[in-house]
Amino acid sequence: MAFTMPAWKSARRRTATLVAVFWLAAVSAAVDAAEFGIATFESRFDDRLLVADARIDYSLSGTAIEALESGVDLVIVQRLVLEQPRWWWRDVQVVDQHRRYRLAYHAISRRYVLNRLASGDSRSFRSLDALLMQLGEVEAWPVIRRDRLEPERDYRLNLETRLDVDALPRLLRTVAWTDTDWQLRSGTQTLEVRP
Amino acid sequence: MTRLPRQAIIRILLSVLLVASLYLLSAATENSARFGQLYLWLLLINGVVLVVLLGLIINNLQRLVRSFRARETGSRLTLRLMALFVVLAVVPGLVVYGFSMQFLQRGVDSWFDVRIENALEDALTLSQASLDQRMRDMQQRLEEAAQELADVSSAMAPVALGDLRGRTRASELTLIGENGRIIAASSVDTDSILPHRPEESILLQLRQGRPYVGLDPIENAGLHIRALVPAPGPEGPGETRILQGLFQVSPRINDLAAEVETAFSEYRELAYLRGPLKDSFSLTLSLVLLLSLLFAVWSAFYLARRLVAPVSRLAEGTRAMAAGEYGTQLPPAGNDELGFLVRSFNDMSRRVANVRDAARQSQALVESQRTYLETVLGRLSSGVLALSPDGTLRTCNQAAMDILSLPLDEGVGQPLSALVERFPDLGPFVDHVDAHRRASDAEWRAELSLDTPEGRRSLICSGAMLPGEGDEGGEVIVFDDVTTLIQAQRDAAWGEVARRLAHEIRNPLTPIQLSAERLQHKVAHRLSGDEAALLQRSTETIIHQVEAMKEMVQAFSEYARPPVLRPRTVDFNALVQEVVDLYRGQSAEAFIDVDLDDGLPGLQADPGRLRQLLNNLIRNALEADDAGNCRIIVSTRRGSGRHAHGVELDVQDNGPGFADTMLDQLFEPYVSTKPRGSGLGLAIVKKIVEEHNGTITARNTDGGARISVRLPGVVAGNARWENA
Repeated sequence: MAFTMPAWKSARRRTATLVAVFWLAAVSAAVDAAEFGIATFESRFDDRLLVADARIDYSLSGTAIEALESGVDLVIVQRLVLEQPRWWWRDVQVVDQHRRYRLAYHAISRRYVLNRLASGDSRSFRSLDALLMQLGEVEAWPVIRRDRLEPERDYRLNLETRLDVDALPRLLRTVAWTDTDWQLRSGTQTLEVRP
Repeated sequence: MTRLPRQAIIRILLSVLLVASLYLLSAATENSARFGQLYLWLLLINGVVLVVLLGLIINNLQRLVRSFRARETGSRLTLRLMALFVVLAVVPGLVVYGFSMQFLQRGVDSWFDVRIENALEDALTLSQASLDQRMRDMQQRLEEAAQELADVSSAMAPVALGDLRGRTRASELTLIGENGRIIAASSVDTDSILPHRPEESILLQLRQGRPYVGLDPIENAGLHIRALVPAPGPEGPGETRILQGLFQVSPRINDLAAEVETAFSEYRELAYLRGPLKDSFSLTLSLVLLLSLLFAVWSAFYLARRLVAPVSRLAEGTRAMAAGEYGTQLPPAGNDELGFLVRSFNDMSRRVANVRDAARQSQALVESQRTYLETVLGRLSSGVLALSPDGTLRTCNQAAMDILSLPLDEGVGQPLSALVERFPDLGPFVDHVDAHRRASDAEWRAELSLDTPEGRRSLICSGAMLPGEGDEGGEVIVFDDVTTLIQAQRDAAWGEVARRLAHEIRNPLTPIQLSAERLQHKVAHRLSGDEAALLQRSTETIIHQVEAMKEMVQAFSEYARPPVLRPRTVDFNALVQEVVDLYRGQSAEAFIDVDLDDGLPGLQADPGRLRQLLNNLIRNALEADDAGNCRIIVSTRRGSGRHAHGVELDVQDNGPGFADTMLDQLFEPYVSTKPRGSGLGLAIVKKIVEEHNGTITARNTDGGARISVRLPGVVAGNARWENA
């Protein structure tokens, strides 16, 4: 599914893109195969509530896994944005929701812990794959009530996810900005939504 | 206070900005929360600055190489200073960098002790081992509880589970069905609605008949032991149920395990971040050093140029001074020693220029005075000679050259004796001067006659010693040509004599002649033959002598009579030719050569008087040789030099020449070397020449005598007949 993302949407994103382009040009290292990808992304109205379901494939790079198992917590952000397109001006951002998850490795138990930062809920997994599988299951993410949407209007629902480099320890952050192994993000998946 | 140049201000500002940027970079590297976000931008900015500095250095280097190849002033010194600055900046910087990097690598590595790492690993292993035993106990306890559920149906399971949870001291017991559905659960935490569901992989393991036990860190609940064992159902072995038990680790062990876990995780994290830490510090340190070195090198160019600039300007100024460009001023170069040197140079240059200007003014003044003096001397009718103390001719005026008829200016700077060698006629004059100089006469006055190319001149000389010592002294000699004056006086006297003689002699001559004729007429026929013959001879003698006396008186009269000229344009060559032809016809023995210049200028003269002049001169030449071998050369030519507008006539004969004693009085009346001469011929010639404002000279040559006449030509706008 194609996705669209206006370039002026986010100055931070624009800056990050510029920086990434700069360092991508400067660094000739081979790009790691690891990446985040949105396999499926759907929306539905469930009892007058717009919800989103998605299946996200998370694949960490070896560098990130090594860091995780060395005690470095990783933060993965899922972002869901509902926009109302306008041809004459910038799109209206109706909803902008983030889900932040912290991935940690518990050495004594040898388990991987997934912690949702907003709620504090945590689960542990025997394997990282199980954790990432669980993390990739987005089910019934409530977006907005139907009555808050204007009928007969088209909306766009965008989903993206990325590794939050800024949440890394500062020393690692410096390296992460310059290392493609840490540039883990999905593209933006867009859905057309009509109430 | 000296103002800083704009470039220096820009460099100071750049330095401050660079230091600020490096400080921010360093602060960001040191994990400063404030600047950490800017780290990447700071890296980018410093990278750009690095490139810009490199470009500037390359540009400066190219300029320096170009100037060095062009051998511009100061380029060598700039290069040497540059090399010195670069060595002074780079070598210590690299040494510090090397030690810093070494210290950084070793220092960071030293933070991580292998023993500590092993201890932490051991602590972790110990904790795990300790918990492993506890886990096996919990598993065994859960397996025993599972056996008790063999006869419990799903409907009764919640009650049984509550009882079992109390006896097993589990925090949560969950009975899971074959399809993974939770049949019943019992938990200590009554707030928790949902039991902690195991992962699918664990359930799969249980379905394969293998129990599971493990630790499960539960957020806000501490470390738990999760155990899952198969639980037979009331329907027999075919029904496979799973009993999951969560057992809370004792708080003490939980705390200890948490501390071990925290310490181990932090240490592992630190160990993992060791590489990025070293890389980050190395990058920052390298960037700081590189920027500092490049900035130092860039500044070295500026400093070298600033230091060398005054020296270069001094060198150029000195070169300009050596080339004679006095007064060269260099721009100020601060208040240091170089500035003092530049100020001293400017002062020196200014003083030299002032001295040069003063010398020029003095020279101009001297030139002006010299010109004035020369003008005055040039306008003097008296001849002036200035001699140095050793007798060298210093200067002379035009009048002196005219009077002496010698190019004395060619002898300036030479002793007078040397002039005598070139111009022997000057001998008597020089002897006279030398005599007074030897006598050290302060002032003297003398009259002397001098032979010149234009005839004998009578001079009145006066000399005076000049004040001064050494080379400043000398002598000045002033002389006047009084030849004309003396001649005029003589001419006037002779004119008066001639007039009186003519008057006194002419009156009795006629009665004498008449008386002699009457005597002859009255007495001759009365006397005898002899007596009559005697009377006849006597009276004829008287008559002839009276006639002769009459002619003489007539000549005197002509000499004394005032000039009455009728000037008109005369073809002088034709006139000469005419007169010469006349003599050729009368005297067969005369041999007259004529050499006429075709380029004679025009002449305004009285042709009758000129004809008389030519007659007298030719007759005088003819009478020079009584033997009859007379040979006369009559020549005309255009004057030379200041007489270029005049006509010159030479009449030269091959006779014995004039007696030396006669040369002074040759043109005076009644002076003649010929027995029958009246002595008026040349006097009349001279008178005619003077009537035409000309000059006449007589000289003896090797083969006779030569009389030269110079008559002024016609000059436009200049009437020369004032005396006519």
